[in-house]
Amino acid sequence: MKEYLNNGRLWRLCLKELRESLRDRRTIITLVLMPILVYPLLSMALQRLIVGGISKAEPEYAFLLGTQDEETAQRVQNLLFEARRVNQIGISSPIKITRSDEPSNKSTVRSEDNNNAIAVSADHVGFSIVIVEKVSLASALRDAQIDLAISKLDVESMAFERDTFPSYQVQVEFRQGDLRSESAMSELRRAVQLMNDNQFEIVRQRINARLPAVVQMKANGVGQRLDPAASIAGVIPLVLILMTITGAVYPAIDLTAGERERGTMEALIATPAPRFALLLSKYVAVVVVAILTALANLFATWITLSFGGLGQAIFGKQGFSLWILIQILPLLAIFAAFFSAILLALCSFARSFKEAQAYLIPVMLLSLGPGLVTLMPNVQFTTLLGIVPLVNILLLSRDIMTGHSELVPAFAAVFSTIIYAGATLVVASRLFGAEAATSGSQETWAELLGRPKKTRLLPTLGELAIFLAILFPVFFITSNVGVMLELRGEAAMSFNAVLLVILFMCLPSAYAWYRRLDFPTTFRFKSSSNSLDSTGMQVARSIGFVVSVLLLSSGLWMVAFETYLLFENWSLASHLSEEERTKLKDTFLLIPFWLVLLTGAVVPAVAEEFFFRGFALSAFRSKLAPFRSVLCTSILFGLFHVISGNILSIEKFLPTIILGLALGLVAIKTNSLWPGILLHALHNGLVFGMSRIGETELTKWFGADTKHLPMLWLVGGGLSIMAGITLLLIASRQTRTYENIA
Amino acid sequence: MISATNLTKQFNVRGTPLIAVNNLSFKVSNGEVYGLLGPNGAGKTTTLRMVMGLLEPDSGHVEICGMRSDGQTTEMRKHIGLISTNDGVYPWLTVREMLLYFADLYAVDLQVARERLEELARLLDIGRFLDQRCSTLSTGQKQRVTLARGLMHDPPVMLLDEPTRGLDVVGSQTVFRFIDLLKERGKSVLLSTHRLDEAERVCDRFGLLHRGNLQFEGTLEELQKLTGKQHLVDIFIGLIGGPVDGEPVDPARMVITTNE
Repeated sequence: MKEYLNNGRLWRLCLKELRESLRDRRTIITLVLMPILVYPLLSMALQRLIVGGISKAEPEYAFLLGTQDEETAQRVQNLLFEARRVNQIGISSPIKITRSDEPSNKSTVRSEDNNNAIAVSADHVGFSIVIVEKVSLASALRDAQIDLAISKLDVESMAFERDTFPSYQVQVEFRQGDLRSESAMSELRRAVQLMNDNQFEIVRQRINARLPAVVQMKANGVGQRLDPAASIAGVIPLVLILMTITGAVYPAIDLTAGERERGTMEALIATPAPRFALLLSKYVAVVVVAILTALANLFATWITLSFGGLGQAIFGKQGFSLWILIQILPLLAIFAAFFSAILLALCSFARSFKEAQAYLIPVMLLSLGPGLVTLMPNVQFTTLLGIVPLVNILLLSRDIMTGHSELVPAFAAVFSTIIYAGATLVVASRLFGAEAATSGSQETWAELLGRPKKTRLLPTLGELAIFLAILFPVFFITSNVGVMLELRGEAAMSFNAVLLVILFMCLPSAYAWYRRLDFPTTFRFKSSSNSLDSTGMQVARSIGFVVSVLLLSSGLWMVAFETYLLFENWSLASHLSEEERTKLKDTFLLIPFWLVLLTGAVVPAVAEEFFFRGFALSAFRSKLAPFRSVLCTSILFGLFHVISGNILSIEKFLPTIILGLALGLVAIKTNSLWPGILLHALHNGLVFGMSRIGETELTKWFGADTKHLPMLWLVGGGLSIMAGITLLLIASRQTRTYENIA
Repeated sequence: MISATNLTKQFNVRGTPLIAVNNLSFKVSNGEVYGLLGPNGAGKTTTLRMVMGLLEPDSGHVEICGMRSDGQTTEMRKHIGLISTNDGVYPWLTVREMLLYFADLYAVDLQVARERLEELARLLDIGRFLDQRCSTLSTGQKQRVTLARGLMHDPPVMLLDEPTRGLDVVGSQTVFRFIDLLKERGKSVLLSTHRLDEAERVCDRFGLLHRGNLQFEGTLEELQKLTGKQHLVDIFIGLIGGPVDGEPVDPARMVITTNE
């Protein structure tokens, strides 16, 4: 594999695939022509939909009030005049007519709408009054020639004290579900309310203001205004994503199934080049073409939205800004990376162009389903949806476009999409060329997902990737279940401990059993000594390991403590009030200490070591050098600690990685799981132990600064870590020499 | 050199086991052309795939220049060249790009690959169109490019899978000259074909394969002596004793160009 990564060879392999796809006219057509053709068409369609919808909500011309006769029209006109007058004198009413002082224009009448059945009489308060002749009021309303129909208007005079007041009974009809008609209705309601409020004010003054209003209400709108445009903003990511897929489809088929059709497949897989390198270069080419397509499409969208006036209609005054563009692009790139892997996996399985297309069509249709879900205006981008492929990226880009994106689901979306892409790529590299090699046998899928026939010592990196793709969603869902159950104190800790055992012990064991992996080597169950050692040597070595672990743990908890403080402001706890924090601490102190130790130190130590330093480290070691394997394992270890329930605990990342590095070093040097378990348990136990100690006692030890550890402690801790590492290296030296000889 | 020992491979075809290759052993020394002969479905391609390390034998192993198929497949493949009937070219790449691509796949140093490309261009007369896209080449030109492709990593072992199928007389002649070239350079050549007349012309030794079993192995003289028949075609029909896979043998299918 190495010789394919050096001397720019991998780069040249990628270059070949890129040349092949970019020189192909068909790629260029999907890349350039499609956006040019599709967007203007789409823009025209959307223009009708969106701009139409929005102008209905906030009309540029007055609402049309239809009446049947001149008399009614006159009365309505008088009423509207009155409403306007009341609005202008400004009575103490919560109601304001929004459009009262706008000049209305007689000439805006749509007299051409109907063969002069409608004639305008007058207009007031944003309304134009129309007398409907020839046709019935109901049909004029139904045909949207008028917005409201005044079907009945009676007036009677009522005597009150010395005066008489007119009282109107009005019956109005409107089109239900029609935005414009409903807006007109509520506008009219406001006008009526205003006049009634005015009447009330007059009466109140007559009785020397002795009668208060029943309710004095002031309304403040909070949160997101449910804009009809918001749901339409969801269309844009969907279109962009579909177009990105379209860009990736052709190269994906051409570079995989196409190799078979050209007859180059056999020559290709007969070479010693690793399948993964072959597929990686193809993958790079597909992703590049997909990203280029995304860029072309994004640019076309931007042009259409900016210059077609659609952008302002959807995104408000600032339009479709460059900032949105910059945020959407990496998202599209991640999505392209994910979908390209899926396409390659599917196409690698196909034997011909036709077969590949047959596989792809259902996938494209299936991906439309979640796409449509995101179009519904009330779908919230929750953390749980963050791990659903496709939906997560769609919702995230919708939220970015409307400016409401949140960190946790965004992180979950990006992280899980990358994991899925990696796992799919591994699958694809196994499938690629498999059919050509095995000549019609059906071993390919079985080989990949079924049980292997032979027992193997170590898991491969591919197996880890596939396992992670299973583990991550399960981990995510189950840790959210804990949050949903609202467990507290003992129950929460026990629940987490059970989860750890299931996720990091039962699942990996089941997977390892299924894949026929050798348990002792995969999970490092071996004793820490070398079989060539004498008994005395074995004992000495074991003592050395235990002492070094004790030294390491006595220093490491301080490192964890201080690195945690560095990022403390990022933690959720820092947002809690003093009271809430005390309450949390009280709940914690109520849990018996043995249970804290069991669920917080012993179980996590055993379970996490089992998976991370057992399974994961073994898988990384199958391909990578020791230090890189330890580093990769630690990063994985850190990432899994960042996600706890639906909270993103970024503050845990660095301390966990440091602990992971130490644990990895111990596991590699002792070639055993047990010293690591001891170190992990001691470390967690010490951290929890410290948190049990009351503030008064802490002051006794720490002095005035109860937040940070005393300098002397830190120096001591640092020294004991160094001593621990030195002892670890010395105690493991002999083992390595034996290994080298062997 | 190639050495195959007790190769056996069984496939499952719709649930029923089918032995494609049964306990097959042969050796090809340096500078020798070994013909693996047999009708369609005799197990030739399966054998070649096992020799290449593309297919794992159920039992037995292959050794190429001291490397064994069970464990050193990747190393082994670097020493094998493969040219087969269905070989295609990349239409959008130039001849030079395609040949250098394959050199990269065999992890050949770029400088070495460039020099070898010039040499092969002379030998196979492809220099004129090195920078032309493959889609513009004629069938004969494509064929020569394919032959050059097989030699880009200068393998000591060359596998030829029915290299003349679908070629005209001129094309076949190019292949024969190519095989002579390989012999000259001391390469071990394993040739699979059902064109017995051609095999007679280029092979030093033969292995006659029928239903996965090696029916006979030896030189043409040995075969003639054994059977008393002059032509390979007659010898072969005599040896397999009539119908293949229940179908009547169609001599025309196997002897298309005998009298040409």
